[in-house]
Amino acid sequence: MAGWLIIALALALAPLALGSGRWVEFLELTLFVAVLGQGWNVLGGYGGQYSFGNAVFFGTGAYVQALLQYRFGISPWISLWFAIAGTAAVGAAIGWLSFRYGLRGSYFALITLAFAEAFHVLARSFPSITEGGRGVQLALNQDPDRALATFQFNFAGSFLAENGFYYTILAVFLASAFATWRMERTRFGAQLIAVRENEDAAQALGIDAFRVKLGAISISAAITAAAGVYYVQKYLFIEPGIAFGTSKSVEALFAPIIGGLGTVVGPLLGSFFIHGVGEAAKATIGQALGDRPGVDLILFGTILILVLAFLPRGLAGLWAALWRRLTGGDGNA
Amino acid sequence: MAKDITTTTRRTFIRNAAGGAVAVGALGLPMVARAAAAVKVGIVHPVTGWAQYSGSQCRAGAMMAVDEINAAGGIKSLGGAMIEPVLGDAQSKPEVGAAEVEKMAEAGVSAIVGAYASNISLATTQAAAKYGIPHVVDVGVSDKIVSRGLTNTFRFGPGFGAITKAGVASFLAINEAAGSPTKTVAIVNEETTGFGAGIAGIMTKGLEPAGIEVVEVLSHPTPNKDFRNIVLKLKEIDPDVVIPSHYYNEGVLFLRTLQRQKVTPKAIYSVLGGASSQYRFLAEFPDAAQYVMDCNHWFDPKNPAALALKKKTEDAGLFYSYEVFLAYTAMMFTADAMERAGSADREAITEAMASSTWSGSIMPYGPTKMENGQNTGARPLVMQVQGDRINVIHPPEYAEAEAIFPRPM
Repeated sequence: MAGWLIIALALALAPLALGSGRWVEFLELTLFVAVLGQGWNVLGGYGGQYSFGNAVFFGTGAYVQALLQYRFGISPWISLWFAIAGTAAVGAAIGWLSFRYGLRGSYFALITLAFAEAFHVLARSFPSITEGGRGVQLALNQDPDRALATFQFNFAGSFLAENGFYYTILAVFLASAFATWRMERTRFGAQLIAVRENEDAAQALGIDAFRVKLGAISISAAITAAAGVYYVQKYLFIEPGIAFGTSKSVEALFAPIIGGLGTVVGPLLGSFFIHGVGEAAKATIGQALGDRPGVDLILFGTILILVLAFLPRGLAGLWAALWRRLTGGDGNA
Repeated sequence: MAKDITTTTRRTFIRNAAGGAVAVGALGLPMVARAAAAVKVGIVHPVTGWAQYSGSQCRAGAMMAVDEINAAGGIKSLGGAMIEPVLGDAQSKPEVGAAEVEKMAEAGVSAIVGAYASNISLATTQAAAKYGIPHVVDVGVSDKIVSRGLTNTFRFGPGFGAITKAGVASFLAINEAAGSPTKTVAIVNEETTGFGAGIAGIMTKGLEPAGIEVVEVLSHPTPNKDFRNIVLKLKEIDPDVVIPSHYYNEGVLFLRTLQRQKVTPKAIYSVLGGASSQYRFLAEFPDAAQYVMDCNHWFDPKNPAALALKKKTEDAGLFYSYEVFLAYTAMMFTADAMERAGSADREAITEAMASSTWSGSIMPYGPTKMENGQNTGARPLVMQVQGDRINVIHPPEYAEAEAIFPRPM
């Protein structure tokens, strides 16, 4: 807990200490992917259900947030609750359909991928509702006095313009981390981990695995939807490809797998690592070789493979092992 | 002689090379010292990810402009300041494009040129607006980009609305000049991104008053890996003219499938056709490309600078595609604004862009006039593949050849 207070405090003070739009943006993207990762982690890391289509939750959240404003002029502060709750319901529905038929492992991964693809097609196919492939574009507010009311910080005076969205995504991340941390300590969390370890044994002990997994996918969906809400408010634009394409699904699972599955801090560590290595690769090899697009991605990919090959428990596992070696303790920092 | 070779060890080679470099550096120094401080311009494109081909073409075009400007003595009103490009990779994602703009803002760029795709341009212009950085959109044809009231956003080339309008008008003119042989038309459009669907609607609306019937609209997704069904359907309904509208890969596949199935309408006329007026397509599939007409971005074929750029692009091993000359022009427009602003100040450059009347472009545009950031003088041309050339056929003031319509069977 003390560790988390330090992390939260450091992240809260970071923009003031950095005083640099570039690095605030770096942290912002890192936290954004950490939220996507935390959403995936609840279901994949704690529940052992590897989704390959978490973009469906990101996209649904983003579309609900955008369309309620675009079509009905609803305040973004109200629509966001519909976005989160609505996506949780979509998550429950997808979970109901998948878990009811006992889909596990790669079959579950495939069905989530299929759902994301189906939503992709739906978003394209009903232009009268979703604006189709053109995407939904929200009106840009340039009046600083209406910045808070419109949840748009781009022209909100110097402090909010530079840091407003950073604190938005930080708040979302801390809320998601706190929710995960609480979940870990409840009966529900213990049951979820039991299902991950051995679903049949868990059921033999009287755990309703179906209900537990349904709960997990709903929480996962709600967290991921919050990232979608942030995305829409910041970029004011959403289209089927961005919303439901595979790239958000992949980003969501990379962070916790690298950082450490089934740990609260894993997605944050993983996201930091991915973006940090990406930036470092750009600054070193990218800089050295000049105008050679993509060379930094080669170094990045190599490091990813090494991490996956040699750190099966992710960075959080490495940390625990180091801690054990240094202190002889149990590593639960 | 043999002795010389054996004594050239790696160490001596490095020493000699270093000495040479120092000498060259010393010779070069006075020139560098004389020049004014460089002015930085951000160049952001998706050079990795799904749009990497187009993004790289854009970057190449913008860099050729930078090299030309610097070789000609930089920005003269700034004491011959060189343009220092600050390159950014949007990785084909809007949020990464916006993050690159943040970096550029911090690096102190005076202006930004980018970002090829419409969805990335929406994010980069918005991010640049936060810092008041003037942003010239090179390609991004979505009219949403210039309709948001962002005072920092400019587009020198034509948008979607202007291109489709010109596309319909030119087709009617070409048809009339040929004795109005077109009675029926079939539209084949992609429906994934809304780009193709939008064009289909506008074409239908524009053609019907002229008594041309749109007999079939055949939609397909992007990407699409098989056009046999669509082409067989076309064979069955046998329209006078086929109007395709999709991206490059689909364009190539569709036109090749038409050729293989021996479907030969009187004309294939595309608007913003993916492959239709691309030298790459013509080089790779000259037979499938023959007589295809396309209303698209194009350079002024009578402008020597445009042809010089074409040669330079081809000498560099690249195809002279619209990405190259649009990004090149966007950078030239930016440099002209800096020249007239006489300052590296973002606000001054923005003002110079808004009031620009630049006339030195290689594009076939009318007088430059910015309205809400859109150059109202911008317009597309209509081209036709004729032999191993892509000739401009309309409007007459730029035409290099007559339209071959109906095409020979």
